[in-house]
Amino acid sequence: MTYDETGPPGPQRPEAASEASATPDTGLDAVRRLHVMAAGIPGARVVEGVLDAEFADVWAVMSDLEGGFGEFQPDMRNVRVTARDGDRVTAHARSRYGMRARLDGVVRPGWCWLQSRFVIIGMAAEPLPDGAGTRVALTGGLRIPGRALIVPGAGRELRRSLDRLTRRMD
Amino acid sequence: MIVAMTGPVPHRPPDAVARPAAGPRAEGRTVGASATADARRERGVALARAARGGDTIAMNDLLDHLIPYVSAICAPIALSSRQDAVQETLVVVFRKLRGLQEPAALYGWVRAIAAREAVRVARRDARDIPAEPADLPAPGDPQLAADIDDVLARLSPEHRAVLVLRDVEGLDEQEAAALLGVPEGTVKSRLHRARAGFRRMWTG
Repeated sequence: MTYDETGPPGPQRPEAASEASATPDTGLDAVRRLHVMAAGIPGARVVEGVLDAEFADVWAVMSDLEGGFGEFQPDMRNVRVTARDGDRVTAHARSRYGMRARLDGVVRPGWCWLQSRFVIIGMAAEPLPDGAGTRVALTGGLRIPGRALIVPGAGRELRRSLDRLTRRMD
Repeated sequence: MIVAMTGPVPHRPPDAVARPAAGPRAEGRTVGASATADARRERGVALARAARGGDTIAMNDLLDHLIPYVSAICAPIALSSRQDAVQETLVVVFRKLRGLQEPAALYGWVRAIAAREAVRVARRDARDIPAEPADLPAPGDPQLAADIDDVLARLSPEHRAVLVLRDVEGLDEQEAAALLGVPEGTVKSRLHRARAGFRRMWTG
């Protein structure tokens, strides 16, 4: 696995295979979407890497909010999904420090965006052409309560998350 | 993407459906489509207001809402670089969203950014002009759309931008000139050359 960390916008890349794109037939893959979202949130960083695993296997872990998600997101424990309506999700989570959070957002193939009053979590995954693996990207962190602002220092946590995800997929 | 060569058509808001205005039923449908387009436009403005207020789920929904609109402008200008153009347009839009004085002006503002970014990306990624096209395809030939793209690719990004703004987005020359930051006379001459070039290349 290789990764790089950037502020938005993201690096230019060859177009990824689109069968699992977060926005099919509209011209912007999920990882690019994540860079756009980060561009609108001062302080947000994006870490990005390529995993040597099938998209379906990677996304099965990343989108399993009550299971795999908590295994690689260092501060998300005991996540419980309380409502689903289409791609809309509500979940309750408790951090390792005991803080509770109600997360609201969107989960669909290759794309997850969640927010609570204190946290923003963004995840994207795209299959690479010719089965060459899966590109993943993460953003988010602690936010200024209720505002689209990330507290400085989120990059290290994001890299830890990506490292954990990589190990989880090995 | 097909560029009409018969003059401007009315600007269509995102996801509006073009309908013929013939007879009461068609008129009813046109009114319905217009109402739908207005409702979608109002939703986009409401999402922009919520996103400016710090709601990142509204940002997510605004992104869903704007991608088709931005793609429709960027694709015929940036061609094979359309994903870069769409991404870079939306990066600018999201970075500057809080500075947008009047959210009701969202679509005109996004359109201006999209046209400029598409031209910039297309120029950056400019590649060699391909050889002469093959014979014209028959109507209905699946090769037709690809050949239109091929003909468009022979125009400069600036000429494609003028064609898109005038003949697809339906702006007048003054509006297109303001949007592209060039004199009105430049738009007129670019449009004339682009249409003439398109016809010449298309008819061989």
